Amino acid sequence: MLSYNFKYELKLLVRSRWIQLLSVVLLLLFGFAIYNGVQKVDKRNRDIAAAHAEVKQDDEMMLKLLDSVERGMEVSALSWTIPNNPMAVGNYHPRVAAMEPAPMAFIATGQADLFTHYVKPTVSGDDFALNFTEMTSPVQLLFGSFDMAFVIVYLLPLLIIAFSYNILSAEKESGSLRLLAAQPIRIHNWVLQKLGLRFFWLLLLVAGALIILFSSFGINIFEQTTVFFGLLGLIVAYMLFWFSLSFLINLWMGSSAKNAVALIGLWVVFVLLVPSVLNQLSTTLYPMPSRTFMINEMRSLKAEVTKKQDEVLDNYLRDHPEYALNDTTLRRGFYHRYMASKELIKEELSPVVIAYEEQLQKQQAWVGKLKWISPAIIAQESMNQLAGTSTRDYENYRKQVVSFAGTWRDHFMPFLYNNREFTQKDYPDLPAFQFERNTFISFGLVGLLLGLSLGLFCLGFLVSTRFLKDGVIGIT
Amino acid sequence: MISKTFTKEIRELFRDGRIRLAFFIVIILLGVAVWISAKQYKTVNEQYEIGKTAERAIWDNQGEKNPHSAAHYGTYAFKPKYPLSLLDQGVDKYAGTSIFLEAHKRNEAQFSAAADQTGLARFGDLTPDFILLFIIPLLIILLGYNSFTKEREMGTLTLLKSQGISGWKWMLGKWSALFLPIWIITTALFLIAGLVLNSLQDFGVFKWTSLLTMYLVYMGYYIVFINIILFISSITKKSGISLVIGLSIWIVACLAAPKAANNIAESRYPYPSRQVFASNVLKDKKEGLDGHNPWSKEAKLLEEQVLREYGVDSLHQLPFNFDGYRMQKGEEHEAEVYFKHYNYLKDQYSKQSEVYRGLAAISPYLPTRFLSMSIAHTDYATHWDFADAAEAYRIATQKFLNDNFAENSEYGEWSYRADSSTWKSLPAFDYSPPELSSILSRNTSNIALLGLWLAVSFGLLLFTTKTI
Repeated sequence: MLSYNFKYELKLLVRSRWIQLLSVVLLLLFGFAIYNGVQKVDKRNRDIAAAHAEVKQDDEMMLKLLDSVERGMEVSALSWTIPNNPMAVGNYHPRVAAMEPAPMAFIATGQADLFTHYVKPTVSGDDFALNFTEMTSPVQLLFGSFDMAFVIVYLLPLLIIAFSYNILSAEKESGSLRLLAAQPIRIHNWVLQKLGLRFFWLLLLVAGALIILFSSFGINIFEQTTVFFGLLGLIVAYMLFWFSLSFLINLWMGSSAKNAVALIGLWVVFVLLVPSVLNQLSTTLYPMPSRTFMINEMRSLKAEVTKKQDEVLDNYLRDHPEYALNDTTLRRGFYHRYMASKELIKEELSPVVIAYEEQLQKQQAWVGKLKWISPAIIAQESMNQLAGTSTRDYENYRKQVVSFAGTWRDHFMPFLYNNREFTQKDYPDLPAFQFERNTFISFGLVGLLLGLSLGLFCLGFLVSTRFLKDGVIGIT
Repeated sequence: MISKTFTKEIRELFRDGRIRLAFFIVIILLGVAVWISAKQYKTVNEQYEIGKTAERAIWDNQGEKNPHSAAHYGTYAFKPKYPLSLLDQGVDKYAGTSIFLEAHKRNEAQFSAAADQTGLARFGDLTPDFILLFIIPLLIILLGYNSFTKEREMGTLTLLKSQGISGWKWMLGKWSALFLPIWIITTALFLIAGLVLNSLQDFGVFKWTSLLTMYLVYMGYYIVFINIILFISSITKKSGISLVIGLSIWIVACLAAPKAANNIAESRYPYPSRQVFASNVLKDKKEGLDGHNPWSKEAKLLEEQVLREYGVDSLHQLPFNFDGYRMQKGEEHEAEVYFKHYNYLKDQYSKQSEVYRGLAAISPYLPTRFLSMSIAHTDYATHWDFADAAEAYRIATQKFLNDNFAENSEYGEWSYRADSSTWKSLPAFDYSPPELSSILSRNTSNIALLGLWLAVSFGLLLFTTKTI
């Protein structure tokens, strides 16, 4: 029976032009999405490369200037920007702290349009004032990007629904169900086979479309086997979920239109409502402290510290006796006081700043606990992770940058407090930033999704057998 | 005939359990969304009031200080929420809420809510605009997809035809039956929102006319959807097909088109990255006068010019402190640089808007979205308006401080301290968003687009009534 089903189903799908239509639609949707993703990643790479090039050029100028200064020549630069002053190097020649895209970053925009991919922390800048958001029109952020994740999370389920909502009801409506009932096969087995075949064909089309498109965009899937198969696994699990739902709804067997309405209702619930309700709840349960108040606090702290700068500097030097020992001139200027008070402000503000990260983590943990309610959330998050554009990736990047900003600052502090000049010899020792990617790619999420789908499927199977016994799927 | 069709359809709708359920769900969702938004609106504005007062107190109590130190110390401009954001949050979540106003630099608004949330935030929020823009059109499709197809499927079409029914009367009956429930929901929502806003006296100025305009925009949007779904239902043979087509249109209009418009707009008219923008600004700044650098070529030129103008031969003989004067001139140059670069951003955005308007051809959602946000003062244009007002205030503040420096001290007197009462005499930052009339005149193209959708969809409907 399976072989008959297979043969006729294929004939049916080809003759009704479903296969052809789906192939074209999938190629178009995925093609447009991948094109958009690749373009975004290209821009990101270009921006980072340009930033590095700019720094390199700038460094050459700086070294030339240093060379002239060291030879005792007069230079035509502002006194406070001449790089023999360590603070000038720290402020006017910052390094690029860039977050290079992951190899498959194009599959999901994730948070990539919201956050910036490189910053240049300076010595006298504040860590908490580092602006990690990108310059984008908020309208762009509101509408979001047409990326692969959008096609998979939002559109693929709709294609599945359109492809499978009337498997049984169409037979009933066209009257061929009676014929079918005469065949030696149970109804739910028959529906299952038919759905299974459609699942198989759709999966084949999706995988085919992806392979064709990936290779035509010059993406080598063999270099990225884990990510590619991770993605494919995710798609399988996600598709399975929607096919299982469809299986359940089909067995309930209303009219075709009723099935479609029910499935669309479920789509709205899982894809639109649950995520927004969860988000709303997470921000209500763990509200972010007011940024306005943070500014107030930072301002009054700064005002207070500025008033007693000398005292702050004395305290700072008491904590760092090494600076007093090595410096014979004991010259104290603006930056000595400024950096000392900065240190103090940073310490005092750190609980406030940490509160934001902690609250965000709490929100994340809470969402993490409940995300199984909606497979759309799981799918979106897994894809963001595969693409290296999830909230966690950017959190990781922020942490690394802040730590690098500390390294950068600390590198110049001995120069400053020892009143040592910056020389050409010190140039190679300047710290550089290297972004370390989160190594975890959790396939646990895919497993969870697969578990959900299989659970749903088994439920459908069990319920249908019960119904069958009770004669609910009786043929009238 | 019209009233008979109408009563029959309405009765049928209310008998259907699924429709009752869908109705019930939408009303619950709306209630929750309005409640959450109202709560959020109150807290944000309370924080705004406290933050604004605290920041002003910090500014006022700086004590004796050199005016230019005060300029570097700077102040903050905070953005409040406006009453109609209760109904449409627009881009508020993605736009910063506070701008640091300091000497020499125009800063971007910082701290958007979205940056402080999990990735889930990108799915959207449960806010009234989500329901108004996405869910109610979906409800229209669910209510209306089988309006005509069911007559075919149940075989009542032949009966009706034998009655000698006229197409347009039949259509009008069906149309008003579909319109009534949508009209009830929307009117109730806007009425409740109006009453809620009216009772919140403390914050912002709420105007009924704005609310009414917004209401009309949404009614227009729903009428477009009603027309479209009835048109589809009248030309398809099966309910299932009608539903699938209706849904596809909904997906394209509400989900796919805005995103696609985004990608097209961004790849054609990209914004520079924040760092590139900053380095472009820096480059231009370097080409002009730097108030802090008396040795540059530009500074020397300015010096000569001023000396000539006043007919004196040394800066000490000028009736004002030339340091302060130069600071002010430098500030003016920098302000011009920022003006130029921010105008470039605005240009890019207005070109992007053209893409959005172009894609409005396949999506009535787009003009509605933009109109609704504008009226609610939660659109990008209002954000620009706020940022520009903050910049104007920053420039005025710098002038106030530099003038104080120039008038009250001698050339070279960097040790000058302004009196501690000086700061209080700087007027406070005050911003009021654009009036409804100017919003509407700015959005004429969106209004025209929505009007066009209305006209075309009515035209289609009229056309089909002859062929049913």
